[in-house]
Amino acid sequence: MPALIPIEVPADASSYEASTVHEVYDAIAPHFSQTRYKPWPVISQFLSSLSAGSIGLDSGTGNGKYLPLPVERPGSVWTIGMDRSGELLKLARYAGSTSGSGSVVRREVVLGDALDVCWREGAFDYAISIATIHHLSTPERRRRAIKALLRSVSPSHGRVLIYVWAVDQDELSKRTIPETSTSDSSISKGRDALVPWVLSEQPGKKSEPSGSAKVYQRYYHFFESGELKELTCEAATELGLQIGPPPQDGEGNTRGVEIVQDSWERSNFYIELKLWEV
Amino acid sequence: MVRLITHNLLACHAKGCTTNNFPLVFKDVQLEIRESEMNPEFLRNFYPKLEWDALVKTAEQLGDTSLPKTQPPIESVDEEFLKALHHVLLEIHVEEGAMTCPNCEHRYGIVSGIPNMLLAEHEVA
Ligand SMILES: [Zn+2]
Repeated sequence: MPALIPIEVPADASSYEASTVHEVYDAIAPHFSQTRYKPWPVISQFLSSLSAGSIGLDSGTGNGKYLPLPVERPGSVWTIGMDRSGELLKLARYAGSTSGSGSVVRREVVLGDALDVCWREGAFDYAISIATIHHLSTPERRRRAIKALLRSVSPSHGRVLIYVWAVDQDELSKRTIPETSTSDSSISKGRDALVPWVLSEQPGKKSEPSGSAKVYQRYYHFFESGELKELTCEAATELGLQIGPPPQDGEGNTRGVEIVQDSWERSNFYIELKLWEV
Repeated sequence: MVRLITHNLLACHAKGCTTNNFPLVFKDVQLEIRESEMNPEFLRNFYPKLEWDALVKTAEQLGDTSLPKTQPPIESVDEEFLKALHHVLLEIHVEEGAMTCPNCEHRYGIVSGIPNMLLAEHEVA
């Protein structure tokens, strides 16, 4: 595993992400997709807990590996995939199809930005954002992405699940996150780094850099403990949502968001939210 | 893919475009009809969440007039009706063309079944 490079994000966050995230995923899409096929258990459980007839958004769907879920009752819910990478979407639109047997399953995918809401507001029953928000390079942009998720789901019952990479990486992931020496730790939370992706000439095999390999650098913001919750609370507050469970003695005309889970799993932080309206 | 299930959710999000920004209007479309397996349980539970007028109007624009103008109450929905609904929502694929906003006329292109909802930075609200 090549070393990660600590960085400071330049002023133009949008064009920085275009070159260190969007262009990289377009370039590595088929190769990347071969390594991303196993759904994470917490996300599978979340999708299995949805009632039949639910409609959802996977913001930053990548190769669409969550679109076929839940596996035990396919077609009982519909997840629509959105991503910034057109090349990844070309794969996502057939996610879950079995190659060879000729059974092609088509998914619904949309080229769109996790920062914007290109939907009727509140139209979805659920939204997931898996390993996406950590590719946004400023706290403002990460907060705006959470607001977009909260605005996309139903204010009365919408459910949201967000996953991001953590500064605390477990042994299996073999990543070590460099200390950022330049930035003032009192104002900036987490750490910003470039994570290399080695595209070898051999398809389907990730190898050490060699003469024939090309290395792409992807931007990541590694979240620290508590940061995802704090960002979520800021986003909710900006939208006028109360934070916590719905009050027992409902006063009327109040909206809020309950934090159902706020936890850590295998090098990731995740948070599950449920919106309410009384 | 753009099927009507997705179209029923999409709205224009250009800067300042907040009213009459739904439903987007299909333009210059190429359609593909592909049969798929029906899930009656999904359809019944999803049914109340549909924007019915937008669905019927858009289906008509694409040449399908099988759905009634007024949304029938859920109790009266039978297997035959669900089949028609399934076809409209999930079997008509818009492969190429565009969707335009009824309000600001912004054009969202569709290439190989994938709609491009991206806006330039200055166009975003
Ligand atoms: Zn518009």
